[in-house]
Amino acid sequence: MAAVSATCIRFGTSVELPVRANNQIIGKSSSLVSFGWGKTGGFPCIRTSRLQICAAKPETVEKVSDIVRKQLALSPETQLTPQTKFTELGADSLDTVEIVMGLEEEFDISVEEENSENITTIQEAADLIDKLVDKKA
Amino acid sequence: MALNMNAINFQSPKCPSFALPPIASHRSPKFFMASTLRSGSNEVETVKKPFSPPREVHVQVTHSMPPQKIEIFKAMEDWAENNILVHLKPVEKCWQPQDFLPDPASDGFHDQVKELRERAKEIPDDYFVVLVGDMITEEALPTYQTMLNTLDGVRDETGASPTSWAVWTRAWTAEENRHGDLLNKYLYLCGRVDMRQIEKTIQYLIGSGMDPKSENSPYLGFIYTSFQERATFISHGNTARHAREHGDLKLAQICGTIASDEKRHETAYTKIVEKLFEIDPDGTVLAFADMMRKKISMPAHLMYDGRDDNLFDHFSAVAQRLGVYTARDYADILEHLVGRWKVENLTGLSADGQKAQDYVCGLPPRIRRLEERAQGRAKQAPRIPFSWIYDREVLL
Repeated sequence: MAAVSATCIRFGTSVELPVRANNQIIGKSSSLVSFGWGKTGGFPCIRTSRLQICAAKPETVEKVSDIVRKQLALSPETQLTPQTKFTELGADSLDTVEIVMGLEEEFDISVEEENSENITTIQEAADLIDKLVDKKA
Repeated sequence: MALNMNAINFQSPKCPSFALPPIASHRSPKFFMASTLRSGSNEVETVKKPFSPPREVHVQVTHSMPPQKIEIFKAMEDWAENNILVHLKPVEKCWQPQDFLPDPASDGFHDQVKELRERAKEIPDDYFVVLVGDMITEEALPTYQTMLNTLDGVRDETGASPTSWAVWTRAWTAEENRHGDLLNKYLYLCGRVDMRQIEKTIQYLIGSGMDPKSENSPYLGFIYTSFQERATFISHGNTARHAREHGDLKLAQICGTIASDEKRHETAYTKIVEKLFEIDPDGTVLAFADMMRKKISMPAHLMYDGRDDNLFDHFSAVAQRLGVYTARDYADILEHLVGRWKVENLTGLSADGQKAQDYVCGLPPRIRRLEERAQGRAKQAPRIPFSWIYDREVLL
């Protein structure tokens, strides 16, 4: 079984919220925990884009992979990476909907129609699941 | 209406609408890109029209049946004469629209029309939306005769070809022609609907045509028509039942009579496919799985009235809600055909054939499960105006 990488690293700009006191902006605080990735290497940098680490839990990715394997009746030798598209594994539109249904049952979540269209890989599924599970907690 | 699944190809807000990705055929047929544009890029006018009817967006595949199989259908002509043409009714024995409508030559004509309109007043708007959608579908008959004449081996080569297949196609078209005529005259007289908008919709629809993805193959084509005839039988049967519930027995008779034609046609088409399963089980089961994977798209899915860009979705949502034609019906029809053609019992299939057999036999419960899930999370439906009924609103 291929080793599955469970972390994904995304770059994004931070949202900076003005901190008010007496209706005057006295400072800014970043709403995201992040650290800089400036050219100087290591210095926290407020204005440039920030490095944000998001990680779908390895157990989540594992469970998603199992559900995908079962739905698509994949042979044990078939290599699965988090980035593999379901369609590359031979899934048609019906399979994809059933994968999402299987994930809903396994994780006791509800996936909206709009979101289910964005689930095309194991990684995307795992990320959405962790997000929804966290929201529930 | 396909499960639109598109049909169902059932594509209503309450049903899961699986995206239909463009499918490039792995066979070696000729194919060409269908336009994906909605604007009139080929039109002479320099002004871009803001509204235009929908078009097929999938790659349109042609001649996917290997040419040597055309022989099968030539060899079947005698069998077709003795086994298929018998399901046609002689014209002298056929009903005609006039049998169900007020008689203009009679003194009682005006009273008969008055009674018809009185009965129609008791029938709600949502029923009329579905009846109109069905009528528009029937009135697009030129598209269906065309579709039958795209099929290799069975097409009417001259317009008056004496082959059994051509005789069937013309006579089938002639029988179907009465359906649109009857519904048109009824709707014209009833006074509940905007005939001009309906007529416009028909003109758009015939102009749009449809590609059922039969790829010039009579295997695919007759499987498609088998499914469709059963679907229209169920649909008209339901509109008949509803008409009776609303107290209009004459309208119930109209819909019921149309339904019985469809049943006869279903019998003929399923017989053809049954024979194909006998002659070429592997090829036929592969064709069956192929059509189901592509999903049976509804004949009027490109309908447009000049105003609503999602007219077909809205119409089929109402049909679903009223129980006239539902995702469940799609699954039931599939299950019926699997049984009718004894697909489970097929033997001597290739590896691909067995996969196709498994796919088709396992599909009905999967569709039902999907439909249950969609019903379970059905949100509050909106009310949408339909131009066919003067923009009065109906619940989807």
